[in-house]
Amino acid sequence: MEKYCHPPSRTVEITILSGEDLRIDRRSIQKNAFVVVRCDANNFRTTEMDGEGGSYPKWNERLILDLPAHAQAVTLEVHCKTAFGNKVVGTASVPVSDFVGGYVPESYLHFLSYRLRDSRGVRNGIINISVKMKDPAAPQYSFSASASAAEQTTVGVPVGRSDNGVGVVTGVPVWCAYNSRNF
Amino acid sequence: MGNCCSDDAGGRMAVGGTAASHANPNAATSNDAVENFLRSHGYPFSQIELSLSASGLRDRDVFSKSDPMVVIYTKERDGTLVELGRTEVVLNSINPTWITKQTIAFHFEVVQTLVFRVYDVDTQFHNVDVKMLKLDEQQFLGEGTCTLSEIMIRQDRSLTIDLLHREESNRGNHSRNCGKITVHAEESASSKTTIEMILSCSDLEYKDLFSRSDPFLVISKIVEGGAVIPVCKTEVIKNELKPKWNPIFLSIQQVGSKDQGLIIECFNFNSNGKHDLIGKVEKSLADLEKLHRSKQGENLFIPSSVGHGHPLETKVLKSRLFVDKFTESVQHTFLDYLAGGFELNFMVAIDFTASNGNPRLPDSLHYIDPSGRPNAYQRAISEVGEVLKFYDTDKRFPAWGFGARPIDGPVSHCFYLNGSSHYYEVEGIHGIMMAYMSALRNVSLAGPTLFGPVISYAASIASQSLANGGRKYFVLLIITDGVVTDLQETKDAIVKASDLPLSILIVGVGGADFKEMEILDADKGGRLESSTGRVASRDIVQFVPLRDVHGGQVSVVQALLAELPTQFLTYMRTRDIKPNV
Repeated sequence: MEKYCHPPSRTVEITILSGEDLRIDRRSIQKNAFVVVRCDANNFRTTEMDGEGGSYPKWNERLILDLPAHAQAVTLEVHCKTAFGNKVVGTASVPVSDFVGGYVPESYLHFLSYRLRDSRGVRNGIINISVKMKDPAAPQYSFSASASAAEQTTVGVPVGRSDNGVGVVTGVPVWCAYNSRNF
Repeated sequence: MGNCCSDDAGGRMAVGGTAASHANPNAATSNDAVENFLRSHGYPFSQIELSLSASGLRDRDVFSKSDPMVVIYTKERDGTLVELGRTEVVLNSINPTWITKQTIAFHFEVVQTLVFRVYDVDTQFHNVDVKMLKLDEQQFLGEGTCTLSEIMIRQDRSLTIDLLHREESNRGNHSRNCGKITVHAEESASSKTTIEMILSCSDLEYKDLFSRSDPFLVISKIVEGGAVIPVCKTEVIKNELKPKWNPIFLSIQQVGSKDQGLIIECFNFNSNGKHDLIGKVEKSLADLEKLHRSKQGENLFIPSSVGHGHPLETKVLKSRLFVDKFTESVQHTFLDYLAGGFELNFMVAIDFTASNGNPRLPDSLHYIDPSGRPNAYQRAISEVGEVLKFYDTDKRFPAWGFGARPIDGPVSHCFYLNGSSHYYEVEGIHGIMMAYMSALRNVSLAGPTLFGPVISYAASIASQSLANGGRKYFVLLIITDGVVTDLQETKDAIVKASDLPLSILIVGVGGADFKEMEILDADKGGRLESSTGRVASRDIVQFVPLRDVHGGQVSVVQALLAELPTQFLTYMRTRDIKPNV
């Protein structure tokens, strides 16, 4: 595997898609789950609270973060606002190597899922996300890959409640899309 | 969503529809008629319309040109021809274009061989319905053969084939060119139009003793004669009286039409398989669309215990059904991607561990029968390969072996089957067979059984193809006689690969107990989890044991293949990759 030459910090786009079977003290949560994505102590973003998905919340919210060059992992914390205050439902650690490096094009849209564990380390549900590295400021790489839409200018458009629970609409293949050849 | 095995896992999953991405494959055990029905029907196949034209037909009539008609057949596995239909008779033409279209269902998992026979219909029969014509009374002009996949992978979906006429008489077995026939295939529009709905309910009744209900919906259509056919099922939401389910995708073809009457039933999930009916509504898709626009709820009803079905004997409940979303869209189908230049690339890995037995002895799983009867490995390769080769343009297949010692080497868990140290590809299915047989002579069987290296190699090929801008989806076939030793490493490799354009088919041969292997198939257990806590983002593994030969039947291996188009589409659609026709 080749070694990448990182700029000091890079931009990563993390879409928090959904959670599955989230519980607090073995009871399925009802609502108000939200996710904190953390690159380090002061560098984090938070999703809205999910109002209707219960223990299978759907956020479909795109968050843009600066990924420090030294970062080894990004932390996902699922919280839930209850009558007794905020509770941490579970956390998962996403190794940066899961979406950087290897052969795939830099801006490949990764769909990743992780097991959540609560504060005692007990397995508690699953979180589904998609991750995409934004191109570095100088577009010096030359992949002509199909899944790498070179959209350097678009930043932080919130992905509206996207339909099938996974449809983030970035990463449209370059060979542009005319949908219409249908009979 | 397992297609092949009729066992009863995964009872809580959503089934049916066209793009159930990110479903929640909760492990559960239940036996469910819906599931079995949908499994037996598998991938919502496409209806294909064939149109035919010909050029340069032979002229058999004395005073005019031929009056040609085509009879379309499919060739079964045993070689028999089954007539699908006939075109009309075009008068006086040697370059006819027929109007009658032939409809045929496209089945990805089998090689569908089509035979077209052209006849010159004699004038005296011109008032007879074509279906009543006796073919032996007509002049045979020639016949052409191709497979349906050959047509479907072409960008213009047209294939021109030579018509041949075998003269069995004095001229010997001599084939003459008798013109050409062009077959054009069109996927019917109803295969592509998809309705996406989000359904929710309010005020459901308690059915469980100590908790709220665990509701799910089953949507069925009412067909002629009143029979009810389930079309789609949502996931189970546990412990919830106002559930909102994941989006449901229904193609118009599955349903019939937008005005087709549908029954939407809400059940309380019971792990013993006896789900209680909470309530139901009867609506067509058009009604549901109206309901969505009005933002009103529709009250569920429940048939009261006396009599059944009569509207007077039903009880209207307080519970209501809402349509939170209703959109109609034209989705790209698997065939659109093929025509757009996407390929399926076939790769194969063969188990050379010692548990297969000495290949020189007839009781070995690797025994090459001099009579030519294929062993289990050869059978699995050809059954999967013969289908997939149509979707791979260069027909060069990576082929590996694992669990053996190549000449003078240590045990390798991923060696090139062709014995080369530089290139891993072989030419065609025949090339795989030759490489397999030469490997049997050149390696000594060893162990243990490790899948990790082979899967990682396949994954690296898939990611390199992405880096090169390839429009390829990879299918790795692993044939093995035993349970993996490196279960955790295998899981890790699969979890990593679930993010790549790759599916893995595992075929178990021999009499080993493959129970443990089923863990790898997410249909049968929970979602795969790696040692680092990463979870497979989609199901890419199908496992099936190949036990007995069922002559004539569609084999279990082919049933495995039926799932591939769905896995392919899930990958493409979640990434919003378009076929770009």
